[in-house]
Amino acid sequence: MNGWRTLLPNAWYVAVREYRSRARSRSFVIGTILLAAIAFVATQTPVLIDYAVGSSQTRMEVVVRASGVPSDSLSVLNQGLNGPQASDPNAHETYVLSWLPGGDVTAAQRELEQGKFDALLIVDRDPTTQDLSFLLRTDLTQDGGAVKAISSALTNLEIEDRLVRAGTSTGAVLAPYTLQVVPVNSSASKANSISQEISVNLLSTGLIVLIFMAIITYGTWVAMSVAEEKGSRVMELMLNATTPLQMLTGKVIGNGAAGLTQYGIILAAVVGGLVAQGPIHQAAVGSSSAGAPFGGLNPTVLAAFVALFVLGFVFYSLLYAALGSLVSRQEDVQSATSPLMMLIMIGYFMSIFGLQAIDETWVKVASLVPFFSPYLMLARVSMGHVEVWEFALAIALLAVAIAIALVVAARIYSAGVLLYGQRVGLRQVLRAARVSR
Amino acid sequence: MSLIIDSISKCFGEVQALDDVSLEIEPGEVFGFLGANGAGKTTAMRIVLDILRPDSGTVTWNGRPNTEVSRDTWGYLPEERGLYAKMKVLDQLVFFAKLHGVKPKEAVRETREWLERFRIPEYADRRAEQLSKGNQQKIQFIAAILHNPQVLLMDEPFTGLDPVNAGLLKEAFQEMKDRGKTLVFSTHQMETVEELCQSIAILDRGRVVVGGTVRDVRRSTGRQVVRLAVDGDPEIAWLGTLDGVRVSRRRQDYTEAEVAPGHDPELVLQSALERGCRVLHFEITDPSLEEIFIEHVGQIDTSERTLAPKAAYA
Repeated sequence: MNGWRTLLPNAWYVAVREYRSRARSRSFVIGTILLAAIAFVATQTPVLIDYAVGSSQTRMEVVVRASGVPSDSLSVLNQGLNGPQASDPNAHETYVLSWLPGGDVTAAQRELEQGKFDALLIVDRDPTTQDLSFLLRTDLTQDGGAVKAISSALTNLEIEDRLVRAGTSTGAVLAPYTLQVVPVNSSASKANSISQEISVNLLSTGLIVLIFMAIITYGTWVAMSVAEEKGSRVMELMLNATTPLQMLTGKVIGNGAAGLTQYGIILAAVVGGLVAQGPIHQAAVGSSSAGAPFGGLNPTVLAAFVALFVLGFVFYSLLYAALGSLVSRQEDVQSATSPLMMLIMIGYFMSIFGLQAIDETWVKVASLVPFFSPYLMLARVSMGHVEVWEFALAIALLAVAIAIALVVAARIYSAGVLLYGQRVGLRQVLRAARVSR
Repeated sequence: MSLIIDSISKCFGEVQALDDVSLEIEPGEVFGFLGANGAGKTTAMRIVLDILRPDSGTVTWNGRPNTEVSRDTWGYLPEERGLYAKMKVLDQLVFFAKLHGVKPKEAVRETREWLERFRIPEYADRRAEQLSKGNQQKIQFIAAILHNPQVLLMDEPFTGLDPVNAGLLKEAFQEMKDRGKTLVFSTHQMETVEELCQSIAILDRGRVVVGGTVRDVRRSTGRQVVRLAVDGDPEIAWLGTLDGVRVSRRRQDYTEAEVAPGHDPELVLQSALERGCRVLHFEITDPSLEEIFIEHVGQIDTSERTLAPKAAYA
């Protein structure tokens, strides 16, 4: 049959044309630049937040009315608040202390009210116990972390003071020490770490959204380009020059490649943004930010992502092309492809909920079904809750589904492209598909 | 060695688009498809091209079924003009040629040559949407012939062309004919058919009502037509009173009358001379295709009784 003549080189010519016309279009260029810019800015959100809050420094004045405080009190406090053993090391906060021995409380109070300082600490000595007593005036109470950090640093100071009074004076008592943490085994340590769990969860969601967005956006491109060809009647020229299968293949490859190009540029902006985050944070806020945003991303997950992304995209693009061939105008593409949209949404939500129930049977079953496997299998792989054979089976089923979709789509396509007029019903298409080549 | 359409039928739902259509088109011939809108011309062409499959019947080219003939055999100019709107003319034509297996270099050279011939070489680097409809049509014609097809199928190629461009296209037809190509086209314009075609088929509601060489078709009624003009009598009132003669049309320059079969048209001239008229013009001819068309199909129907869609893009 003519429809099954060799794919090349015509499918390739079609792909190249599709890619060029897509990549040269104004909407593509503007869209890519805009999205890349948004992505870059989005990666700087932590910096922006820190910058906007502007409170990475807590300025505290310390009025010491007590007599005989240890000579290294300031450094003990500094160590407790800003040192490596500070109780709140992730707060990116630095405490700037103004040390006022025998200072004027009234003057300090005034400065506090004027906003020159965030906190006023008054150090007294209890006449009965001879212990140091502390009074903290501040609005930082809403921010528990700061008060906690200060109180823990003050504990150190109190201990130091008692030791001095007991005659065991030594400045070395609170010198920094190292604590080495060695995991028992890797999977247990992963499970144990809540923050890592959250980060893996975030990563999974992120990867699912990436696939979801790509399929919807670029799948629609395929449908649009089919409808456009039909609307402008180039279709008839094309049908004489190529076979539906060649056209279909070329369109999916061409538009897919254009989509991947845009995606690649956006991802490059994201990666660049993350790399630049540290230096930018340093320049804008004055301290470097901590945190690895891609915790849990390893080569296995990446490879699975690429495989599922490409196969899922091809699968859905074929269906998009088939549906796109049923309408005569680009405006109708949206409504014609809405059933597909529903299917994609279902898969997407299943996978988002599935992340919370990764070991449920329905998740395991659905992650093998071609319509949903791009999402759900990805969720399972990124959460590390999957057997190798399950992944292999999902990929194999998806590949089979693509082969079936190719045949079905080519039939619908070759029937649909010549049916003009109002929207075409399924029955008409099936009938036309039966008699067309 | 010819294009043979054998007993083709095709239904679209309730509509019988083609009903047992058989035609034989000789190689190297210019063949005209005549018919009202919806008569089945486009469907017939699409079936020849194997874009559509008939419900029954076969098409063969040089003895081989069209399903096995190489696609590069055919050049197709669809009725609905369509090009990639945003694509440059040259890129577009080279693209189509490449799909038919023409080498890019050769495609570029051929394209430039044809643009020159159609007097639009400066359009090579314009986008298709920037061209007038007539010029887009010329581009499409080039797209249909770049791969040097043996058979050219053209659906309403002259529609929408001004006389100058129609003339250019007719020259191109002649050129293709001289190269030994077989040309098949459909049209409403009877004068064009009489000017260009050796053979025709008139289709009506999916059936071939009359077909053959233009000469035979025009003679098929047995009637003859005389055209007469005499000095000082534009009405020629007596003409209708002659036995077997019926005035069919009065024009400023002559009066036309049909002479029934079995009557000698020479008698018209004779009786004019007998009446002492000074004859300015006398002509014996066969009925025009238009008359035959109207006789078979009825009034040329310009209403939209067609399966073909309206163009969506301008």
